[in-house]
Amino acid sequence: VTTRPELVDMDSSRLLPGLAAVALFLVMAAAFVTAGFGAAAGFPGGSVTAGIGYAMFDLLDLAAIGSEGFLITFLIIALVLDAALEAAVMLARREGEGEPLEAYDEADADTGAEDADPTAGTPGVAADGGPRKGGER
Amino acid sequence: MVPAQYYLVLSAALFCIGVFGVLTRRNALFFLMSVELMLNAANLNLVAFSLQHGNLTGQVFSLFTMALAAAEVAVGIGIILVLYRNFEGVDVTKATTMRW
Repeated sequence: VTTRPELVDMDSSRLLPGLAAVALFLVMAAAFVTAGFGAAAGFPGGSVTAGIGYAMFDLLDLAAIGSEGFLITFLIIALVLDAALEAAVMLARREGEGEPLEAYDEADADTGAEDADPTAGTPGVAADGGPRKGGER
Repeated sequence: MVPAQYYLVLSAALFCIGVFGVLTRRNALFFLMSVELMLNAANLNLVAFSLQHGNLTGQVFSLFTMALAAAEVAVGIGIILVLYRNFEGVDVTKATTMRW
């Protein structure tokens, strides 16, 4: 038996969040549409891309469009991205139970198997270094 | 030139879609995507007001927000990996404790 699609499922747990999101949108849209912002100033002179570059490196004397200097922010963001990369690697690797990466084995490469499993030589170890479950993959 | 209100309404719509996703989704990956939608709504606002005021600060700021979003996704994906490993799934409602 096929059932027709319903636009709103009254029993769904998504109904209330959906209504909340729509109500939030209506309030925000009403506030924005009734607000008067005047005409946009725009960027009449100079290149926007060049201005962003100058702003990032605190070269404000060369910029044709007004901005603030962001050199310190640039350095802080560089550190934060580095820390995030480090954190992602730390979270992704397993503790113990083999190495996360297998060393390149020329003997395996010489067999000519293009789609060979890189961890095939070490039974019981998955690609990320953890124990391989039976029937997985 | 497009009035600032149009950008703001678009941004509000994007943000509300993100809020809806955060409130309803149980899959951690979709959760992360919804947070990204909300961040991008904020970016849209920054760029729109940058154009409105004729000042590049908002655009540079949105660039940095994008970098922060990238960092957040990197950590988020790592957390999702741990979630999958420990709970055999990426359902955010299953992980109710910080320790297991």
